[in-house]
Amino acid sequence: MNPVNIGAADLEALWLTLRLAAVTTLLLLAIGVPLAWKLSHWQSRWRHGVEVLITLPLVLPPTVLGFYLLLLFSPNHASGQWLAALWGEPLVFSFTGLVIASVIYSLPFMVQPLLASFSQNGKRLTRAAAALGMPPHAALLKVLLPASRPAIVSACALTFAHTLGEFGVVLMIGGAIPGETQVVSIALFQHVEALEYGAAHRLALVLLVVTTALLLLARWLGRAVSATSREERFMGVPG
Amino acid sequence: MELTLPLFRRAVQSLDGDGLSVQGLVTSLNTDTPWQLALPAQGVFGFTGPSGGGKSTLLAALAGLRGCTGKIGFGNVTWQSGKSGLATHRRDLSLGFQDSSLFGGQTVADNLALAHRYSRRPLSPEERAELIECFGITPLLRQPVELLSGGEAQRVAVLRQLFSNAAVQLYDEPLAAVDRLQVIRKLLPRLRDFWARHPALVIWTSHDFDEIQLLATQCLWMERGALTGPLPLREVTRRLQLDSLERESCFSRLEARVLCQEEGLLTLSLGDATLYADRVAGRYRAGQSIAFLLGSGDIGLCLEQPGLSSILNCLPVELREIVPLEGGRVRLRLAAGEQEFSADISRLSRERLQLREGERYYAQFKASSLAGL
Repeated sequence: MNPVNIGAADLEALWLTLRLAAVTTLLLLAIGVPLAWKLSHWQSRWRHGVEVLITLPLVLPPTVLGFYLLLLFSPNHASGQWLAALWGEPLVFSFTGLVIASVIYSLPFMVQPLLASFSQNGKRLTRAAAALGMPPHAALLKVLLPASRPAIVSACALTFAHTLGEFGVVLMIGGAIPGETQVVSIALFQHVEALEYGAAHRLALVLLVVTTALLLLARWLGRAVSATSREERFMGVPG
Repeated sequence: MELTLPLFRRAVQSLDGDGLSVQGLVTSLNTDTPWQLALPAQGVFGFTGPSGGGKSTLLAALAGLRGCTGKIGFGNVTWQSGKSGLATHRRDLSLGFQDSSLFGGQTVADNLALAHRYSRRPLSPEERAELIECFGITPLLRQPVELLSGGEAQRVAVLRQLFSNAAVQLYDEPLAAVDRLQVIRKLLPRLRDFWARHPALVIWTSHDFDEIQLLATQCLWMERGALTGPLPLREVTRRLQLDSLERESCFSRLEARVLCQEEGLLTLSLGDATLYADRVAGRYRAGQSIAFLLGSGDIGLCLEQPGLSSILNCLPVELREIVPLEGGRVRLRLAAGEQEFSADISRLSRERLQLREGERYYAQFKASSLAGL
């Protein structure tokens, strides 16, 4: 029925993982762009502190982050009760909890490339836009974002791929509830523990192929514009 | 390419105010010599001086893009008072940067459309199309700006600034990388024509004196952080010559009055003499006073009035000065009435004709050598 013969539970895990990665990437894009824009303009000694905070998930062991989130979300603590009351259901061992954790965990993968691009081009382009009468929000949306397209594409690809591979954080706050919190990396781990190497092979291969394809796609998207135009130029299009 | 976009107009400031006034403007560059400047609300002013003198700094400070203190006002709007200033996009100005600063990741057409969309005085579609054609941008419209050469990028940047059509237009060495002949024969006359139709206060920064003398009659001078001006062009020539002889322009600016124009051939009167210019792009009306450039290499000298010749222009001149140049040539300073201009001839011609300072001769040049019309 399916070419790589993946079980129904594994397919569900795969679908859950893709959903998690997609939601996380979209949320992070919405958070990351204004955050990086503000940071690139921010002339304060606090800027370094905030940048360190954003970079922290990059170096912090995922289990440490997961542990603190578990405490935060736990219904045994006031914070967890408050969050559960706010959301309507406990966040721990839930898809929503996973999304929040993923957003924090992948934050540097979205913000760092954007920040680098905004800091490099941002000042020059915003000044040029203002000097043509464009207000700041127009400078961001109509000048800076189009100019930062390669950085945005690569930031999204990195975030998506990074979320696909999440393990430690999910293990701590999500567990392995099929269809709710059992992501591919957890399912793979469970197959290996149960000595089901065939199923493990199949899942691992799917992840390998998907992530490789994703990175190739990102490279292609980032270069598509300049490559075609350069070709045109060599073909003798006037210019 | 279609550039029609939804128009949204913002309050347009009236152009007949007091003009630009700068009082006691201080940046980190000129802590000892605060800048003072008073310019009318309309007119084109050159801006030159040795490199590193602070020209770009003054322009950025006027635009509110660098820290400064002092007072800047345009018309009845205060742009800067003390340390606090109006945000750049709220000032009715445009500033073009030396590096063009085109918007990356977009095409040339996108760049122009953005400038048009945020313009306080949007140009008509016909005028936009005509400007794009004149600046030679038509084949580039669909190109991403990353693929433009330096000269192409500069032409797009100037055009983008014209589309913005602000009340105060600041240009920072805008055409330095564009082919000289194209600039003098085509772009500058078109710019002059544009500002005649859309009056604005223009400050045109350049190291090329030809550009300045073709566009402006007065010029600002910045040297080691000290701003002077506006000065008459003659004074600026003197200062440039003090700098070095090589910097002396090989084009001279002459003024004449239009007699008539027929099918691209323009007839002018300069003193008692009649001059002809062909391949004229602009439209002029009889009686109008216009300026043009004459290349020093395009002029020949005769001892006596020549007979009929295909060289249409013959001007009685007085030889004021002979300056030896490098490479076996001499530069003659000639005067026709009040106006002075330069002609470069070979040392051999000078010996054969036995030219002497103070004598009267006839200067001949072709109708096609009157540049900038």
